[in-house]
Amino acid sequence: MKRVYDVIRREVSIWRKRPVYMVGSICVMIVCSLFYLTFFQEGVPSDLPIGVVDYDNSSLSRNFIQQLDATQLGEVRQYPDFESARDDMERGVITSVCVLPHDMYADVLGQRQPEFTFYVNTLYFLGGSLAYKDILTMINLTAGAVQRETLRAQGVNEHAIMGKLRPVDIDIHMPVNPTMNYGSYLANMMLPGVLEMIIIILVIYSLGTELKYGTSRNLMSMTDGHITPAVGGKLILYTGLFTMIAFALMFLLYGWMHFPLEGSIWWMLLDAFLLVLASESIGVFIIGCVPVLRFALSIGALFSVMAFSMTGFTLPVEAMPAGIQGLAEIFPLRHYYQFYVHEGMLATGFAGSYQEIIHLLVFLFLPFTVLPRLRNAYVKQNYPRK
Amino acid sequence: MKNTYFRQWISDLWNVMTHELKSIFQDGGFLIIFFVAGFGYPLLYNLIYRNGVLEDTPIAVVDNADCSESRRYIQKVDATREVNVAYRCTDMVEAKKLLEERKVNGIMMFPADFGEKLAMGETAKLSIYADMSSFLYYKNLLMGSEFVMLDEINHGKVQPISYTENLPYNRTFSYSIFLISAILLLIIQQVMFYGMTMLAGTAREENRGFATLPAHLHGRGVGRAVFGRSLAYWLLFMGLGIYIATIVPAICGFPQRGNYWDIIALLLFFVTDCVFFCMTWSSFIDKRETVFVLLLFISPICVFLTGFSWPISAFPSFWTGVSWLFPSTFGCRAFINMNTAGGDLQTVVPQLRAMAVQSAVYFVLASIAMYVEQQIYKKRELE
Repeated sequence: MKRVYDVIRREVSIWRKRPVYMVGSICVMIVCSLFYLTFFQEGVPSDLPIGVVDYDNSSLSRNFIQQLDATQLGEVRQYPDFESARDDMERGVITSVCVLPHDMYADVLGQRQPEFTFYVNTLYFLGGSLAYKDILTMINLTAGAVQRETLRAQGVNEHAIMGKLRPVDIDIHMPVNPTMNYGSYLANMMLPGVLEMIIIILVIYSLGTELKYGTSRNLMSMTDGHITPAVGGKLILYTGLFTMIAFALMFLLYGWMHFPLEGSIWWMLLDAFLLVLASESIGVFIIGCVPVLRFALSIGALFSVMAFSMTGFTLPVEAMPAGIQGLAEIFPLRHYYQFYVHEGMLATGFAGSYQEIIHLLVFLFLPFTVLPRLRNAYVKQNYPRK
Repeated sequence: MKNTYFRQWISDLWNVMTHELKSIFQDGGFLIIFFVAGFGYPLLYNLIYRNGVLEDTPIAVVDNADCSESRRYIQKVDATREVNVAYRCTDMVEAKKLLEERKVNGIMMFPADFGEKLAMGETAKLSIYADMSSFLYYKNLLMGSEFVMLDEINHGKVQPISYTENLPYNRTFSYSIFLISAILLLIIQQVMFYGMTMLAGTAREENRGFATLPAHLHGRGVGRAVFGRSLAYWLLFMGLGIYIATIVPAICGFPQRGNYWDIIALLLFFVTDCVFFCMTWSSFIDKRETVFVLLLFISPICVFLTGFSWPISAFPSFWTGVSWLFPSTFGCRAFINMNTAGGDLQTVVPQLRAMAVQSAVYFVLASIAMYVEQQIYKKRELE
């Protein structure tokens, strides 16, 4: 116990001497929180530039343009011809192009069914899909308005007109994210991802610098050559630091920012705590396997950047190739996410999330497999320092 | 005289460059990043996002109406590419349980009066509950049910206006085409950034500075040193760039609509810009490993700053300003517009101009940084 205490005191003095630990954890987390919480501030983008080419120039086409411009999503930019609009779409300046054909209004009146054409630049994920949805809605509304006039002229009563125009209405429920807020959707997972990244990198850094600067023998002498108290002492301190950051993050997301949470915050705190432990284990495992700081850091960086994709909160894991799907299990962030889905979205409590708890706890066995190897490296210092 | 100056300049440049190349290839950490991240990542990302499209999202159906219309509706929804009716439940409790067990990603519920309302010519309501854990589930559910709804509306009716939709560049809304177009060039920038800063940090740890100039120049010739080092990285990363921007898409069957030489021209601008960018920022790194500890978080932020997902028109102005710091902001946009949307050099003129300005600014900054560092080392030597 005394040994562990000594190691902790030694680590605290290292923190004092080198600000990189505090800057690398707390400051990085603050900068990232600022980014992810302010960048998507609007939640749902508004006033997406939509190009319109009006060859018709009638009251119907002007009305259409006005209405499209008035939607919250769209902001119309008019072009004289399709070529110039298409060029701007290719440049990514506008999200889509609507072409209102010649004599559209005349054709509508003559029941010759004019053809309305639109193009969407689907290379810009959110902008493209929202513009697509917006244009489709407007076309249907315009068509509906024309039909309503016809039906009225036929003497159909207003009540029946609605039924004819819109026989089926879809009522969509989006639990947890009723406004389709893109910001909260992303920040919810990106920020814990950043946390995982910080933890893996800092743990590797902390254990690895002992090798790089040859201070590991000094550390081992404090624990009489035992590796467990040496690594344990360090990790106790890091666990404290990271848990603090993780809890602060949870309160930031679900308390201060009021991101919707179906389940209880206590379960999310547990989830965050387990993410901290699992990520630390990954860090110890990497530096234990490759006791050369520079290699270990490179590997840790590659691993933690990968985690964002493999979590499956953007493209779900089941849409990935079969061989890759299994790989997703080795990322703690993946299990954090599954836990969050069960607890934060579905509020299933322990019954839903116990599997993820077990998964995350399994990571804790990893360090024990490499401790002897790390001990050798610490004592013999027989790995290249460069 | 002029001739000898020129010759000397070239020979210094050559020396600096070869020296830099030697130190690059002697560094294991750099090589890991260069080969694994530079060569492996583009392929790995292509593999992960290979399918790109989520199909047949399983849903549970609760049909309280049990009429021919609802059955027809269910059949049609099941037939869409987006949705697969995996379970039929007798009530919502059962369906919610399936949702909680994550066996389905959505529920579709027909109220008891669904058929009745349709028969009476009123609007019938249909409820959908979407799993919001990924937006793609929501999108599939919405698209699947809306396609059928539109089909039902047009059922046996002539619409006053018909429409044709065109989704050029990415017909299926494939996730891989969005993401891969945006990150390919970013990989070049990040590999170079971490690689170069690592080397700069190592040099400073060994107390030789990143700004070692040929001794016989007595501290002059900063231009030669900056150009020489740049040339070393430039050569390496033009190679990597050609691989990432032209060979990887070919291997992975990714759309390549741009002209080959246009892409190379874009790379010339982008890689040059990246070299000076990395050189400038690497002046702040004094220890080899600190860059990972302090700056790894930049990579995902850069991805969002390319504007591939959150639309550029909705960027808060502060972050628009920040995005101008990175070559990737312009390089990736140009690449999306050229390689994937099929534009030519004319299309990306604004981005090329921005990168040219960036290169000039970063070149000046890198030279200043190198000059200052040189002075510091000189002073230290005197002491």
